[in-house]
Order: sequence, then C-alpha cells, then structure tokens
Amino acid sequence: MTAETEKLRRGRALPIPWERIPWWVVILSIVGLAIGWSVLTSETYLTVIRFVMDGLRLTLQVTFISYAIALVVGLIFGLMRVTKNPVLYAVSTLYVEVMRGVPLLVTILYMGYVITPMLRDATGGRINLQGMPAAVLGIAICYGAYLAEVYRGGIQSIERGQMEAARSLGMSYMQAMRYVILPQAIRRILPPLGNDFIAMLKDSSLIAVIALPDLLQMGRLYVSRTFRAFEGYNTVALLYLILTLFLSLLVRIVERRTAIE
Amino acid sequence: MSEPIIVIEHVYKSFGHVKAVVDVNTEIAPGEVVVIIGPSGAGKSTLLRCINNLEPIDSGRIIIDGVSLTEAPNINEVRAEIGMVFQLFNLFPHLTALENITLAQRVVRKRNQEEAEATAREQLAKVGIPEKWDSYPSQLSGGQQQRVAIARALAMNPKIMLFDEPTSALDPEMIKGVLDVMLDLAREGMTMVVVSHEMGFTRAAADRVIIMDNGSIVEEDTPEELFTAPKEERTRQFLSQILHQ
Repeated sequence: MTAETEKLRRGRALPIPWERIPWWVVILSIVGLAIGWSVLTSETYLTVIRFVMDGLRLTLQVTFISYAIALVVGLIFGLMRVTKNPVLYAVSTLYVEVMRGVPLLVTILYMGYVITPMLRDATGGRINLQGMPAAVLGIAICYGAYLAEVYRGGIQSIERGQMEAARSLGMSYMQAMRYVILPQAIRRILPPLGNDFIAMLKDSSLIAVIALPDLLQMGRLYVSRTFRAFEGYNTVALLYLILTLFLSLLVRIVERRTAIE
Repeated sequence: MSEPIIVIEHVYKSFGHVKAVVDVNTEIAPGEVVVIIGPSGAGKSTLLRCINNLEPIDSGRIIIDGVSLTEAPNINEVRAEIGMVFQLFNLFPHLTALENITLAQRVVRKRNQEEAEATAREQLAKVGIPEKWDSYPSQLSGGQQQRVAIARALAMNPKIMLFDEPTSALDPEMIKGVLDVMLDLAREGMTMVVVSHEMGFTRAAADRVIIMDNGSIVEEDTPEELFTAPKEERTRQFLSQILHQ
C-alpha cells in the first residue's frame, strides 16, 4: 500500500470515488427536497413545524444526554461482564438481564411514577428527578444494558494473544484494556453503537408517557387541538426520519475515519 | 556458578483433567540459553508460559531473580523483567511498529516519549528493520512482524527472554532473519528460554537442551551430549523423528 492510498484510506480526504457515492442518500435527498419544498410552501405544515419545534429540541436533548450516559454506563458494566471477579460479574449480569428484559416503556413509567416520588419523599424534596432527568435516566439505564453487551462482545472478539502480549510486557489488566483491547474493540463495535444511537432517538418518543413535551407529544397535542392528524403525524414522521438519516450519515463518517486495515 | 535467575521447583499445571506440566524441576543461570524440545502436547509451551505467570501454576514454586511468582507483591513488576515472544507475534494491530515498541515503555517503565522513541529506533535497528518504524503490522511480512515483536520485548530491557516457537508460523525464507537476531542476543549474554525445534539454532546457541514428554523433563544436557549420546530411550526416539525428517 502506498503512502497516498494510505492517507485516503484513513479518511482525511473526503472526496469519495464515483462508484462509492451512497446512492441511497442521493435518492432520499431528492425525494426529501421535493417533500420539503411542498411542506415549506404550505402554510399548514409551517404551522405544525413551528408548533413542534420545542418538542424537537427536547427530543434531541434527551437523546444526546441519554446516549452519553449510556455509553459510560455500558462501558463500566461491559468491563464488569468480562472480569473474572465473581461479584462484579454477578452484579453486571443481573443488571443486563433485568434491564434488557423489562420494556423501555415500563422502565420510563417506573422512573417517572415510582422512583421519582420515592426519591423525592426519602430526601425531603432535595432530589427531584421530575421531568427530563427521570426520562433521561430511564432511557440511559435501559440502553446502558444493551451497550454493555455490545462492549462485551467487542472486547471478547479481540484475540486472547493481545491481552497476553500486553500483560507479558508488564502492563496491568486495566492498562492492557485501555491501551490495547478497547481501542481495537471500539473500532469493531462502531456499527452496533451507531445502530443503538438511532434506535434510541426513536425510542425517546416513549417519554411522552410521563407527560414530557417531546416531538411526538407536541405532534399529538397539535392533532388533538386541530384534528389535522394527516399533517400532524406527517410532520412528526418526517422530522424523525430527517434526524435518523442525519445520524446515520454521522455514524458512517465516524466509521470511515477510524477504520484500520 | 552464580545464583540461578530462574528456579523451577516441583511445578504442576493441569487444564481440567489434562496434566500439562508434572513435577518439573530445573534451574537456569544468568546468561544461559536453554532450548526446550519435545513432541507436541509435551507441556513445553505451558511451562514457558508458567515462567511469566501467563499460566498460574497449580503447585510448586517458580522463583525469578529471587522473587517467587506466587508471592510476588506485584506480578506486573516481575513480568516487566521477562520479555516474551509469541508464535503468532501478537503485535498490536492498531499501532505502528514504533508505537508497538514505545507503548509499554511509556505506561510500564514511565519513560517519556523521546526516550521511548529513541530506544524503539535503536531496537528496530538492532533487529535489522529500522526503516519500518511507521508501518502497521498488517503491512509487514511475518518475519518482519516477529522482529518487531522481539524489539518490543527488548525495549523493556528485560533480564530474561522467553521464546514460544518464534519461527514455526513463518515462511521458510523468513526464518533465518529471526534466528540471526536470536543468535546475536544469545552471544550478548541474554538469559533465554526457547521452545523451538530449530536444530541449527540449538546447536549454535544452546548451553543446554531440555527434552520434555507428557509434562515432565525426560533428559537435559548440552546439545553435543544430547544429540550424540542420549541416555534415555524416549530421547532417542524423539530425536530420530525430528532429525531424519
């Protein structure tokens, strides 16, 4: 491999060769532009978009904060799932199995209507998760369990010889994880991590059940006020689609930039 | 003779019902080059891996430079003094050759970047591929990868080097380069324990050959004695198999 193809391969140069243009994006963009044009020139749709704008902001906030927390929670529990320590292993396995087995909708209701009031009463109102914190924690705890399994799979996919080589050089277990195993594992798990990011954006619509005014909730509110279900849900669906497509592209770019071999 | 740097006393190691190492006793002096040979499944690699605790032993004692592995306060400090070279190289694929060699120097030996890089370049020059410092392992041939692996181990300035079949995954034309590096190392007085069937290297460099079978040491002697006048029937059988192939 020459130095030039090496540079291209490492993704610093963005020009994409002709045959590797993501055609599905092009087609979707054309369709999207056509729909966008008719939407933007229609007074009704503009009204809906303005109405749900705050909801869109909340959806994005909840998604990004939840995902950031879930990435950290998942890493911690994923590491616990691969240790030989029986206590850590048992704790992490319990967490993963329970949170993976309970529907996210139930978890969010639980956070909103059980944990939040309990914590508030127990601490005399000093800890109040009411509203967005409860929603964020519910989603993050649930997705933390999924991501823990993603991390575990990634770590276990790295050949045993890598850990042995690192340990034989005198590195501690955690040093070997940090400098040798995780950098390789994370590259391998980027596709499922991106997948869960997109899934989480969509699942954030469940927080409407604890009366949070997210994108979906605002759409429903609009529909119930105006009885314009067609325009209302069209707008909600279109906005979710635009967001997920955007995230999808983002994930691809990150994957290209971190690729090795 | 000086104090042995490796003492192995009544060491046992099993994997489930399989007894890999059975009551092995031996001592290795500083600067000594010991080659372990024997049929596959004899426990050679397991014994080697016990020496740096990659396989914790079931019973017995292994003492490295005065420190017992089972009682060592910090096993990582002991391991830093023992370099190991693997059959499949085990280079870190996400790092360049230079980064492979500097990583442990920085995080274990706490050397700064310039110091670690200087040592790395010196070691790469020593194993004969100074120009490959910026290559990733996937861009190197097997022989080059194994030489980077040797340089990575040497950069830690170990007192002992362990080689686990370092040439058996290599194409024939790559083997000589790696063996030359090992020969140089032996001449410089490095303490080496080598699991290998490279008879040329053994004759040229080994102070002692250990023959293992079924987890135990069958016989140990200088290569001249062992190859010309083996005492044990099992040794004769094994040597006739590998020397007349």
